Amino acid sequence: MSRAHFDLTQPDPPLIVCIGSGGVGKTTLAASLGLVSARAGIDTLVMTFDPSLRLKDALGVGDAAQGKEAVAVDVDAPGVLHASLLDARATFDRLVARYAPDDAARERILTNRYYNHLAGHLGGILEYMAVERLYEVARTGRYQRIILDTPPTRQAIDFLEAPRRVTQFLDSGALKIALRAWFDEEDGHLKAAGSRRFGLIGRRLESFLDGLIGLQLLRDMSEFFRAFEPLFDGFRGRAEKVRALLESRDALFVLVTGPGEARIPDTLFFARRLLEAGYRVGPIVVNRVHPEVAAPAPPSADAVPDPALADGLELFRWLGASHRRGLEELRRLLPAEQALLALPVEQDEPTDLGALSALGASIQTQLVGSR
Amino acid sequence: MIPEPLLHRQLIVVTGKGGVGKSVVTAALARGLARRGRRALALEIDPRENLHQLFDAPPSGGEVIEVGPRLYLQNLKPTAVVDWVVDQKVPIGLVRKRVKASPIYQRFAEGAPGLQEMAVIGHALRLVRGDDDSAPAIDTVVLDAPATGHGIYLLTAPKLFAEAIGTGPFADLARQGADFVDDPEACSLVIVTLAEEMPVQEALELRDGLTERFGRGPALLVVNGLYPPLPDDLPDDDLHALWRRRRQVNARELARLDDRWDGPRIDLPLLPIDDGPALVETLDAQLDHPDGPEDSP
Repeated sequence: MSRAHFDLTQPDPPLIVCIGSGGVGKTTLAASLGLVSARAGIDTLVMTFDPSLRLKDALGVGDAAQGKEAVAVDVDAPGVLHASLLDARATFDRLVARYAPDDAARERILTNRYYNHLAGHLGGILEYMAVERLYEVARTGRYQRIILDTPPTRQAIDFLEAPRRVTQFLDSGALKIALRAWFDEEDGHLKAAGSRRFGLIGRRLESFLDGLIGLQLLRDMSEFFRAFEPLFDGFRGRAEKVRALLESRDALFVLVTGPGEARIPDTLFFARRLLEAGYRVGPIVVNRVHPEVAAPAPPSADAVPDPALADGLELFRWLGASHRRGLEELRRLLPAEQALLALPVEQDEPTDLGALSALGASIQTQLVGSR
Repeated sequence: MIPEPLLHRQLIVVTGKGGVGKSVVTAALARGLARRGRRALALEIDPRENLHQLFDAPPSGGEVIEVGPRLYLQNLKPTAVVDWVVDQKVPIGLVRKRVKASPIYQRFAEGAPGLQEMAVIGHALRLVRGDDDSAPAIDTVVLDAPATGHGIYLLTAPKLFAEAIGTGPFADLARQGADFVDDPEACSLVIVTLAEEMPVQEALELRDGLTERFGRGPALLVVNGLYPPLPDDLPDDDLHALWRRRRQVNARELARLDDRWDGPRIDLPLLPIDDGPALVETLDAQLDHPDGPEDSP
């Protein structure tokens, strides 16, 4: 098997998902891959979450673009390059609007207190909404390639588990039934505690759950699930399709990580999870690698030693050596056929189109060159 | 120098963007407080334990373990706190089992928005009040909090939660947590950043969000990982150019902070140290000295 699983100038893969922990440069990388694609004549959309101000400016997705589906990046290339900024809550609201059977149902959900807490904060919602949006855009067939920059998560793995978690959450029919059994359909009041089905232990259980969790929350949750029920099938169907898309050959995962030995356990853990689960794994990109610094030349006899210079050089020697050791260790621990790219730290964080192009070109060269 | 007020806090929440060195700063801060006589506990809520490596200690496995004089460490699973509430409030073993096994409770414990965050705050409160008989007496909990967005949510969660739930033990815990967080004498936030555009931007936004919601800003900003200033007259080879440029970015962002950050700030250098505990020790010493190379008033 060749080490290079793909060539950015070819239309395959149609989906690239940049994934990794926060602060490693995923967004920059996603933008640079987008530029290479467009330059190769592939119509491309880059979906980002959290670009820096400079990158927003470069891509033209600043505040002016807020609320728009996607904006065209001003780039002279045979393929189009569009960029969009993701908003999880807006995506969620749009889904509710689409699947709600009527206006009243939609309003009931959108104004429900539990929904308003849940929509922003249920674990994995932001991650799920990213793939949901990806699926939505992919289905339009408007782009030959979509590059998704994933939201910042503490654990990169959270992102992948989002569709499964949402499906499970929706599938917990037990919850619906259990919750509904608590309330009378008409007035929303708690049913008499002596439900026939539960018996003595059940009644105590009910009363303890009441005492523990509180009636108001149970009522909000119950109302939420009742309001959501007509949406469940559509929603679950989507979550399953989204999952199937991510697991298909169409989706290629680019794992982005920082240099240095401290990052290795996380990177390895995640790479193994991806590989074992059968995802299509592209290159693992180690970003911002400091160059190796040669040992200092012996000082000439008349030179006055400068402690600030000596300390600075020692720091850079340490950074270079530590990053090299990290790369070597990672190479040794990864399967031999796994592509591993090291991107050198740049003097300037690439934020304009020229620098992003150069970064993309360097990635493309490494990918094709490693065949 | 660690600002004096932090020496009297019961909970210090350390937050910042991913990859800025929150854990190392948490560890150094806890160590510094312990050296000044506070019984300090570094609290980690990541499901994968890392913080123990910075103290040269074994994984805590969820327990409070001693890692130095007056210095403690714990990796907390928030669901353990939620279960603890059930254990306290449900006296009958069989019912307790059924409560924990019931789908309502399980979904609630895993998925109720704000519950886990509320549990972390509640746990810190119990520790400093000495309500947890199994734990040693603690004066200050230093919390290695999740990345920025989640960090502020951690502080607002008890209040949101208390609003969503009217009565019951979780509501009580949430209200106590909300009061605890609201009390400027009890609880402070420390932001860690790098002197780079994105982390500084997030730090400023977090400061604004916090001030808006709590009427007070963070107690301290720690600027971590600064490249050292360059000596003059260096030849312009690749290495020196990289150093110069990194330092320029740092200087630009430090200037932005000088302009827009009027609270206490400590600057920490990037240090060529591989060993975690040695790094923590060195940073702790840097926190101590007002005449540190990068220190600001």
